[in-house]
Amino acid sequence: MIARPPIRNEQGARKGANSPALSARLLRFLPRLILFTALWLVIAGSDPSSWIIGLPTVLFATLSSLRLASAQPTQSALRLGGLLRFLPFFVVESIRGGIDVASRVLRPRVRINPGFQSYRPRLDHPGARVLFLDSISLLPGTLSADMRDGVIEVHALDIGSDLVPELQRLERLVGRVFGQTLEEDGA
Amino acid sequence: MTMVAFFLALALVLLITMAVGLVRIVIGPTPADRMMAAQLLGTSGIGVLMLLSTALGIPALIDVGLIFALLAAVSVAAFTRRRVGQDQA
Amino acid sequence: MDEPTIALTINIVSVLLALAGIFFYIAGTVGILRLPDIFTRLHALTKADNLGLGLILLALLPHAPDAFYAVKLFLLWVLVLIGGATGAHLIAKRALRGDGEDIH
Repeated sequence: MIARPPIRNEQGARKGANSPALSARLLRFLPRLILFTALWLVIAGSDPSSWIIGLPTVLFATLSSLRLASAQPTQSALRLGGLLRFLPFFVVESIRGGIDVASRVLRPRVRINPGFQSYRPRLDHPGARVLFLDSISLLPGTLSADMRDGVIEVHALDIGSDLVPELQRLERLVGRVFGQTLEEDGA
Repeated sequence: MTMVAFFLALALVLLITMAVGLVRIVIGPTPADRMMAAQLLGTSGIGVLMLLSTALGIPALIDVGLIFALLAAVSVAAFTRRRVGQDQA
Repeated sequence: MDEPTIALTINIVSVLLALAGIFFYIAGTVGILRLPDIFTRLHALTKADNLGLGLILLALLPHAPDAFYAVKLFLLWVLVLIGGATGAHLIAKRALRGDGEDIH
């Protein structure tokens, strides 16, 4: 589904040359371990006996997530500032999206003018692309229908209005969550 | 009206909504439509479970809701991986 | 504000949120039944439904027995959001490419 970034051989070679390999690996390992431990704590509660199952599960989850993520670039840390900007936008737009759909289907004659529009995202990070695709589907009037060769097919409930400004705004916000700055005027 | 009675009433309304949504599973027309309606059923089902969990004071029902959510995601992914003639093979 | 007033305010907010949630669930179901094709139905499913669940969970939040339960409610919503949006994308992709077993 996601286009893998080009192989990053030179990066791995650089790491092997001097010896921070272990600390780098630990840096990849620890945040995930903490995340999954917290998740288990939330799911199973504070009962100590739950760790009989919890400890192997957390370790297994950490290892498999590391394995699945190995193709991603390492500098994938989420930016807190970007996240704090994205979340209120996301909540407001979700509510607008729900009201939009409800108002379209709850009238005597359904008011839609559906169609497709292509959009080429400029996001590099695979995680950013997934967040972008999922956010499109939750925004008012748009649905990410397909992604092929770096082009997203967006299905719109009302194709009459131009979707590009909205999509670019969303893309900028998503980019900022992953530390990628996109200039105002692209495309 | 107490909150318990209110939440129970809402759960009932949601159950009726779920039942109406079943119509889409019956009429289809494509398997994708039926899958979608089943997903709607899952989301509504989670809503009913959470309302009952609070109204009846059974916190463990939230674990059932979490399993519902996970199964819905897995079943949709599995469904979209099916191909023509795969079942006969 | 004294304690009964606060409790009453919380209950009123809770009732309003839950009613809004039910409204979006109903809108989602009506959308699934009335909209003409699979893509427009997916719009109704992803947006109205996830918002419905989110509002109901928000309404139940003040009645949570402990903090773990409250975090779990939030976790459940995030899970359904991701699952719903990704599932809708997969179903749409499959319908668009026509590689499913329902297209002959």
